[in-house]
Amino acid sequence: MSDKPVNHARAAEHFIEDAPHLQFHDERLWDMRQKRDAQMHILPEWQELREEASRIKEHTLSRLPEYLEQFETNAKKNGIHVHWARDGTEHNRIVGEILKAHNARNLIKSKSMVTEECDMRPYLAKQGVTVTETDLGERIQQLDDQLPSHIVVPAVHKLTADVAKIFAKDYHTDPNIRDPHLLAEAQRQAARPVILHADAGMTGGNFVVAETGTFVVCTNEGNADLSATVPNLHIATIGIERLVPRMADMGVFIRLLSRSALGSPITQYTTHFRGPQKGGEMHVVLVDNGRAARLGMEDFWTSLKCIRCGACMNTCPVYRRSGGLSYGAVYSGPIGAIIDPTFNERKYSTLPYASTLNGSCTNVCPVKINIHEQLYKWRRVLVQHHEMPFVKREIMHMAGKLMGQPKMYRAAIKATEVSLSTMPRFVLYNWLNPWGKHRENPHPVKQTFNDWYRKNRETAAKPAAAPETKK
Amino acid sequence: MSTARDEILQALRANRPTPENHPLPPVATLGDLDASRERFITSLRILGGDVLEPVEGETLDQAILRRHPDARMICSNVPEAKGTLPVEKVKTPQDAATIDVTVVRAPFGIAEMGSIFLSEAQLPINSFAHLGQHIVVLLAADQLTANMHTAYQERPEFKTANYGVLMSGPSATADIQGVLIRGAQGVRSLSVWFT
Repeated sequence: MSDKPVNHARAAEHFIEDAPHLQFHDERLWDMRQKRDAQMHILPEWQELREEASRIKEHTLSRLPEYLEQFETNAKKNGIHVHWARDGTEHNRIVGEILKAHNARNLIKSKSMVTEECDMRPYLAKQGVTVTETDLGERIQQLDDQLPSHIVVPAVHKLTADVAKIFAKDYHTDPNIRDPHLLAEAQRQAARPVILHADAGMTGGNFVVAETGTFVVCTNEGNADLSATVPNLHIATIGIERLVPRMADMGVFIRLLSRSALGSPITQYTTHFRGPQKGGEMHVVLVDNGRAARLGMEDFWTSLKCIRCGACMNTCPVYRRSGGLSYGAVYSGPIGAIIDPTFNERKYSTLPYASTLNGSCTNVCPVKINIHEQLYKWRRVLVQHHEMPFVKREIMHMAGKLMGQPKMYRAAIKATEVSLSTMPRFVLYNWLNPWGKHRENPHPVKQTFNDWYRKNRETAAKPAAAPETKK
Repeated sequence: MSTARDEILQALRANRPTPENHPLPPVATLGDLDASRERFITSLRILGGDVLEPVEGETLDQAILRRHPDARMICSNVPEAKGTLPVEKVKTPQDAATIDVTVVRAPFGIAEMGSIFLSEAQLPINSFAHLGQHIVVLLAADQLTANMHTAYQERPEFKTANYGVLMSGPSATADIQGVLIRGAQGVRSLSVWFT
């Protein structure tokens, strides 16, 4: 994997050039945000639910080793095989070995961000395993060889015509279809035989209950249930932070998850897996992949509370106008910008800047992660670690010097005003001034604030200040 | 050599925030505690499900045919409906794929969400709930619980079933240009018959 920093700004520029896609993307995500608000207003206990969810998650994270052991004990008692993976490589190896032991060549799977983290599909392809995504949006992304652009609606950046083109190639449907119903039906018809002949099924896990050894999967299409109940081998890949202590805690999280995500009261399917089905075999792979290390980061450990609802993405003005793919990472949007740098600080060093710091992400987060504060804190860390673009760093360096010396600062302001009104555009707008790329520089003013103050207020202010000095 | 399990647990122990600062909050029961049939039906319709209302003198089999006139393979796992395909014929998970209408009984429903619960105790085989084109669910009106808090606290099935699914209306997707489509990969429709 290349460590070259992701050029989010350039990718976003590219996204913005396409007006119909940009407009749909922006409006669709804002619509999800508004539906979420409508759900919130129905429930007077909304803020209490968020507080509960946050406290339960923080408690669980502070006792994660104990709860993981409790889950493992209970799951094993119910006949689940429990595996542990330090990173993506180890995870992929474990999954590959389970499949090999069953001579399984065809794997159907529902959406799982952890398997994206592990880059599992290419690994299994090399082992001769055909992996078929069963979630419609994820399948579209798989066929188009792209990462999911959103953690809940993976193909949200595409229009119907884009999907028609992709399906025409792989499902031999009419490329001119413009009715989403026909395309969804094409997916159903194409997926059924694959599901019926699959050797193994794979799901993620939205929640893990320590008390009972259960994992809970939430979908709308029912594709996780098909993936888990048709083949007799079920493998679930789950991040170690997904625990809750008690089954009764699920009430809080299920009430928040889909309302925050899509603005629907609950996902159409909420499935509780506690053991293998009759004649079946069930495996759970618990994946760390940087989570234990993140737990030790004082400013960033609460990002592990995330339940992957995507509300912070839907509300973010930068995300809505740049698209998930512009982040060049498995996780995009505000939550992505605070967890991606923990995977690779250099590669994702630009992402914490993809924010206006307006705080909207923090306000909608169902588990009360202080996302915008963490974005700001990441910028500080990255500067300390010198992961800052050269021009930005030099400008900040110069600005720091300038602002530390009032006389020089005032002289510079005056000089700027003169140059803004006299210099040609090519001098003012170039690569040394990234700020001016999509913005006009401010209009030059005739008088600086300091000049105005000296002329109008300084003499008047002096007598008022005099009694102070007597004390 | 230490195992992945040991290493992960050890790192978590070393890195975690002080447990004493984060006590476990007591179990919460919040919000509307109305467990009425009316609330259940309103919620069910929001999620795209519907109620199969009996017409006087009609049997459940007749009502199912009225709702699904083209159905040929009707497979019932309840004594209240005969169906056309004996449930004994569904032996492997794949056997359920030819079914047009599946008939089952849910042990309980959740008024807040219009959800019905199914587990291996109500199904000849777990895929039975998903591979059929449509599903008709029998539900006793006195087996409704108010909301998600009461459901998880009161219903023992969550702690005993190996496979337990809450279905809230039929399968759905909005993955293509945000258009809501009922009947994505699982059942195309879900109807509740109160008994």
